[in-house]
Amino acid sequence: MKLKHIVGLLSAAAMSVVLAGAASAQDKTVKIGMILPLSGNAASAGVHGKAAIETAVEIINTGNPGLGNLPVTKNAGLKGLGGAKVEVVFADNQGSPAVGQNQALRLITEEKVVALAGAYQSGITLTTSAIAEKYGIPFVNGESVAANLTERGFKWFFRVTPVASDFARIYLDFLKELKASGIKTDNVAIVHENTEYGTSVASVITSVFKENGLSIALDIPYAANTTDVQSQVLQLKDKKPDVLIMVSYTSDAILYAKTMQALDYKPPMMIADNSGFSDPSFIKTAGKLTQGIFNRSSFAIGAAGTPTYLINEIYKKKSGGDDLDDTAARQMQGFFVLVDAIDRAGSTEPAKIQAALKATDLKPDQLMMGYKGVKFDDKGQNILAAGLVIQLQDGENYVPVWPKQLAKTAPALPYKGW
Amino acid sequence: MRRFLWPLVALALVIIYPLVFTTPFQQRLGALILLYAIAASAWNIIGGYAGQVSVGHVVFFGCGAYAAMGAYSHFGLPPLAGIPAGIAAAVLIAAVIGVPTLRLSGHYFSMATIAVAELARLIVTNVEFLGAAVGLSGPTVPRTVFDLSFISALPYYYLFLAVLLITLGITWWMANSRMGFYLRAIKDSERAARSLGAPASRVKLYAFMLSAGLTSVAGALYAMIVGFVDPESGLGILVSVKMLIMAALGGAGLLFGPLVGAAILVPLEEISNNLLGGKGAGLTFVVYGAIIVIIARFQPGGILALINRLWAKRKTPKTPDTEAAAGASNAP
Repeated sequence: MKLKHIVGLLSAAAMSVVLAGAASAQDKTVKIGMILPLSGNAASAGVHGKAAIETAVEIINTGNPGLGNLPVTKNAGLKGLGGAKVEVVFADNQGSPAVGQNQALRLITEEKVVALAGAYQSGITLTTSAIAEKYGIPFVNGESVAANLTERGFKWFFRVTPVASDFARIYLDFLKELKASGIKTDNVAIVHENTEYGTSVASVITSVFKENGLSIALDIPYAANTTDVQSQVLQLKDKKPDVLIMVSYTSDAILYAKTMQALDYKPPMMIADNSGFSDPSFIKTAGKLTQGIFNRSSFAIGAAGTPTYLINEIYKKKSGGDDLDDTAARQMQGFFVLVDAIDRAGSTEPAKIQAALKATDLKPDQLMMGYKGVKFDDKGQNILAAGLVIQLQDGENYVPVWPKQLAKTAPALPYKGW
Repeated sequence: MRRFLWPLVALALVIIYPLVFTTPFQQRLGALILLYAIAASAWNIIGGYAGQVSVGHVVFFGCGAYAAMGAYSHFGLPPLAGIPAGIAAAVLIAAVIGVPTLRLSGHYFSMATIAVAELARLIVTNVEFLGAAVGLSGPTVPRTVFDLSFISALPYYYLFLAVLLITLGITWWMANSRMGFYLRAIKDSERAARSLGAPASRVKLYAFMLSAGLTSVAGALYAMIVGFVDPESGLGILVSVKMLIMAALGGAGLLFGPLVGAAILVPLEEISNNLLGGKGAGLTFVVYGAIIVIIARFQPGGILALINRLWAKRKTPKTPDTEAAAGASNAP
């Protein structure tokens, strides 16, 4: 019966590993923990998120005066902390709520991070932020959209991103404006994949539309890993909705685009809810088949020389050439908000960072995203989060078309397809 | 007397562990080892002792996890209060699916259980009451001590240890009762066992139900420490596979096999993730998988079977340890 020897040995190994990691902390650095899905189903998103955070760290630590009014970018390091550098410890949540929690605990107690950010999947953001709450460490989320995250009465959780209800309102206002200009938008259909993302977004859109007297005539859920969507497309072809809203991941979005072409089905108007339809691989594979599709975004790369353009140039070096997408950009914005708060707090004490986060009041020109600002309510939700409607026009480019003050060109209707 | 010496030493070490390794992460690691040991030990009853390799045990795990979280989110009760309902649901489901599937032999039983587990996951994904795709969460800020929501992992550690001891006690009692002998006979050759009058169907079903009930407790404890369950983490096929691998790696059909498997795999997974996960190259699973492959290639009977064999070889077998003897004959 030697099993306890093994337990002992492994525990000793665990401890030495942990001690070796903790000893190398330098003064003059601010350690922040970042939890991302670096392996598992969502690894692609996690790896892009990591590149985005590395981009932000480079900008903050070396200084980049070309980025307009974006906070903490003017000079090298954090002014509020005597030029201290930012160091990010990345951790892999492996797509599991339990693993995410273990990593949150490790980052807080072993790595002694002063704040946490992440964790991409809403369910994992939920469990990891619970650990941060228990330990009294600020947790800033830039990307998870599940409604319940800010309904838990947490004092250390802050969310910068717009949530599903914000998106739903964007679509609603957009459709209302089109309706006012004489375009038919009465008959709306939603097609959505049936895991957390698709289900929650579709149900929020449905309820927001209902509150405003617009009913969803047709609701078609499907499995994201499906290999055949003919029956769904035929159903749409039969019902002829005026507006089709799609909530999909990448491979299924491509499948829908190809099936619609094969069955020669074009809705008069098609709106895609980000995600799969924003993925660069979707645009490469199926962009030519979905000309005129609307999408939502809070991020636009912008013209050469603008801050967002410059950020994208740095990002491309870290990501292996991919452009900054909306999700990674939202993560990066969340990280900037956190670092700005630490800088203003002038301290790495969690309570002071928390107070600075509560006092956050960033204006649109201080952001890289198209939000109306960053200001948190009592629940920790950014009340000024917003987005814009973009449209795939002339090949492979999404251009902002709504609201008018942010539009580059007018929305083109009807949907062209291929 | 010697029979009890080593288990007692082991128990003492397990009790002392969190007092020696006091950082929160080490204590949580200890708690997780015990948690997975409970789940793998529960699986061991049907998968190890009876030789019916279930890959659908996550259904029972999910029953417990969902019952615990459901008790909180729907009725405002402490998650603990959901445990009896979880056990009842798991045992009932085990009875319903056990009657037809346990008639299948070998791979076909495994396949049927996979199908049941995937079916359960798909159904729950679409049931609003169970949180659908979004999942259910537990109390983050404890209202009373009965919510069992602690900052430190220490209370969880001793709670899990107590449950593990009960699980192992039940397993030991079962293995040494008439039922245990029936199960081993069925595992060696069901046809021979039947021909000698062993009530094979009934005994297998009882073992399946017992295993399901205990797995459900493990699921409830998991949900309590994590505070959240969704279809992927509560009913995903990987959870079943983990139970199976831990039991097989430690030694399926041996009392302490699953504990040894958990004590190796859980730290291995966590430490490799700590060291390699942040690099973003997916190395964690490569290392983790490679070690499993190596063990499976060179020691398919499990680590504990190897230890028992070496131990038996070293001291010339005057009074062979009953468990070691049983282990040698039971190695799959």
